[in-house]
Amino acid sequence: MRRRSFTKSTLGSTLGLAVGSATPSGWLQSASAMLAQDASGEGQGRAGGNDDRILVVIQLSGGNDGLNTVVPYRDEIYRKARPELGIPASDVLKLNDELGLHPSMRSIESLLSSQRWSIVQGVGYEAANRSHFESMDIWHTCKTKKERSNSGWIGRWVAEQPARDTTDAIAVHLGAEQLPLACQERGVQIPSLASLEQMRLRSKSTDSMQPQKDQQSNLVQPPQEKESNEPGLLDFVSASTQAALEVSERLEKVLAAPDATGDFPGSSLGEKLRAVSRLILAGVRTRVYYVSLDGFDTHANQPQAHAGLLRQWTEALSAFLKKMQDAGQQERVLVVTFSEFGRRVAENASQGTDHGAAAPMFLAGPLLTNVLHGVNPDLSKLEDGDLRYSIDFRSVYAAVLESWLGTPSNKALGGDYSETGRALRLFS
Amino acid sequence: MPQPHSLSKRQLSDIDPQWAWETWTPSKEEPWDSQRVRLLLRRGGFGASPKLVARLVDQPHDATINMLFGESPIQRDQDRFEEDSTQLLAAVRAGGSIQRLAAWWVHRMINTPSPLIEKMTLFWHGHFATGADKVIDTDLMAQQNLVLRKHATGDFSQLVHEVSKDPAMLLYLDSASNRKAHPNENYARELMELFCLGEGNYTEKDVQELARCFTGWEVRRKAFRFNSYQHDEGPKSLFGNNAIQSGEEAIDQVLAHRALPTFIARKLFRFFICDEPEPSAELLEPLAKVWKESNHQIEPVVRRILASRLMLSGWSAGQKVRSPVELAVEFVNSLDMTTNLDRLAQGLSVIGQSLFHPPNVKGWDGGRAWINSSTLIGRANLLVDLVQDAKTRFAGQDLNQWVKQQGITTRQAWGKTLEESLLAVPLTDNERTSWESSTKEAIGWKEMLVRLSQNPKLHLS
Repeated sequence: MRRRSFTKSTLGSTLGLAVGSATPSGWLQSASAMLAQDASGEGQGRAGGNDDRILVVIQLSGGNDGLNTVVPYRDEIYRKARPELGIPASDVLKLNDELGLHPSMRSIESLLSSQRWSIVQGVGYEAANRSHFESMDIWHTCKTKKERSNSGWIGRWVAEQPARDTTDAIAVHLGAEQLPLACQERGVQIPSLASLEQMRLRSKSTDSMQPQKDQQSNLVQPPQEKESNEPGLLDFVSASTQAALEVSERLEKVLAAPDATGDFPGSSLGEKLRAVSRLILAGVRTRVYYVSLDGFDTHANQPQAHAGLLRQWTEALSAFLKKMQDAGQQERVLVVTFSEFGRRVAENASQGTDHGAAAPMFLAGPLLTNVLHGVNPDLSKLEDGDLRYSIDFRSVYAAVLESWLGTPSNKALGGDYSETGRALRLFS
Repeated sequence: MPQPHSLSKRQLSDIDPQWAWETWTPSKEEPWDSQRVRLLLRRGGFGASPKLVARLVDQPHDATINMLFGESPIQRDQDRFEEDSTQLLAAVRAGGSIQRLAAWWVHRMINTPSPLIEKMTLFWHGHFATGADKVIDTDLMAQQNLVLRKHATGDFSQLVHEVSKDPAMLLYLDSASNRKAHPNENYARELMELFCLGEGNYTEKDVQELARCFTGWEVRRKAFRFNSYQHDEGPKSLFGNNAIQSGEEAIDQVLAHRALPTFIARKLFRFFICDEPEPSAELLEPLAKVWKESNHQIEPVVRRILASRLMLSGWSAGQKVRSPVELAVEFVNSLDMTTNLDRLAQGLSVIGQSLFHPPNVKGWDGGRAWINSSTLIGRANLLVDLVQDAKTRFAGQDLNQWVKQQGITTRQAWGKTLEESLLAVPLTDNERTSWESSTKEAIGWKEMLVRLSQNPKLHLS
């Protein structure tokens, strides 16, 4: 006999439960940030004016085909390598006599005309790795394969930020996927939120179970109550649980306020950027938001899939920046987009492209200098069938951390890219 | 609860590989007790009801291991379960809903008389990760699941050969459209990088050559088909060996690669023993040896791991983060619950482990990656939902009856039962006191269970 059977889904009523927290409501600052030695805040790059600037990182996962994003529409080699997939010259959104954008990126035209859009061409790193995971790890950790690392550039950046007069988390990841390696660092808790609504604790809903404020009635123990000397999994889950409960409490307040985000594309990236704008408009003092859009691994039937993804990306991005502009926040927000690699120059037999190397990065926001930076990779000088990089991605990171966020970059990037970053002249 | 074993203080790097993999035997210091039963059932299965735990403690410990492998003395149970499950699957395949397929699998995890087979099927699902979003066809996902289960503890070589021709896999990694003129490298790369060898054990040239071996491997009418017109007949070379012709020969070359036994042993080690730190090559060597000597048989190496001193001395307790599936299914099994399986399967996707939807071809990373602000809130919410669901029963009764039936009359006694059944790591005295005591009279059995859903220790295995 069957002990258990399938039953129809029904919404059960929820009972409350005691969630107590002696700490003030708000997002946990990372412990290490609290303890950061450099609390002076008066370094050169730390002008007070930069403190409220926001960075949004968009990761295009799977390897965006850079060549069909920024198209060398006049190049004969491009035409020959892409008989099926090449974007016709008549279709591209022309940037100049050689380059044009994929036609499905039309929604960024107003950003282009208001000088709020930059393309950094030919970005990559030495000895390109064609594994998604290895290459993504390199972009996240800023370390090559041999010097493997468990921490990422944003995680390390968070770790060296001085204490702030807010408990709002300094960086937040939004998305159902796991916390990107870029946001990881021992001792740092960067909240990862699938959505704002999902952060509501169901069992908290009835008031009758709310504890008195002064009562340490939840089950989470303060981190000092360790059971061993080695910080292990238990310390990790304990600290994470405490952070999660506090984030949940702060978000209850954000969600209680009226939603002023208005219209947004209903796509997954659109929903994520809507959530980001909701947090920004609610005055949450997070400085870095990390989101991603998956599906760029277009080995087969690329044309439709790629066009749809580029459309989703640019529509969400321009809706987000439009929202920032309407709210008078446009001078505070910079959006940086990257992918772990570009794709092979020659198309394959399945109307797709295989893993490649160098590709463009994209910046959107204020203070940008030129539309085009660097040089477009030479299609006659391929390396193992792939485009060769000319700008190291860490130089772009350095320029963003230093010139945009106004913070040092060496520790975050694990190397000195300040000079090469400045030389890019990305910001005015 | 007994004190954590003294070994738990020892670093993994200090453990002698020979000692680690010898068969554990009970002794005065390390008796076969309910903690060890539960540890073994968590790692080799999905937990068990208090009743089953009590029964297994009274038998020799290898009876539990044999039970995990499905060597049940009562063949009838096995047959009846398979009959039920096959019927359910037929209905699910006819309906075509992938959510129902996930619920069907959860039903198996809860009810199977051979828990390890389901556990290993889940392992291979994460290993040969294939996503329904791209495959789209529920029937093909079900078909693949049956292949993974058939060889779950069987012959790895056969498993790889079958997976390489599995329609869902072919569709997922584009080898279905791998043509002579333009080889598609996707499957070739992942076969070496993720399924068999690990990065660094092959060259880019090997990827290109292997892709050529697989040209013409297609899907036609939901089945594998070899299209000789699209197969590249030219000479190919893999790992410096020039005599390769067919895809089958190429797979055999990959399987014979010296990196394979340690690569698989490392993954099994992490699945069964601990999330971190990474084991040394020396520690894995005895497992790799078992693998080689048995010529790629899965059962001997898994048996060696489960019966080992490293497992049963107690060292590994609390050294893993529970996956969402483990958290939810162990919760259900440990409390002898029957519940809304659609809701359970749906809940898994909210907290990061949607069955048949691994995040990418690398599968779920596991360990610390399971845990973040959203998944922690989601985990607490899912357990609360299961407890509150109108369909939920505890050994067929409501919670109050079930608690009463076990002779529990105080919060302390209920707390002790829950702690033993659900937690791999004991609560501190402070945690226990604040949990059991309350100023509110109304706090009863269910409320204590609900409050436990926020304890971090619930997430360790």
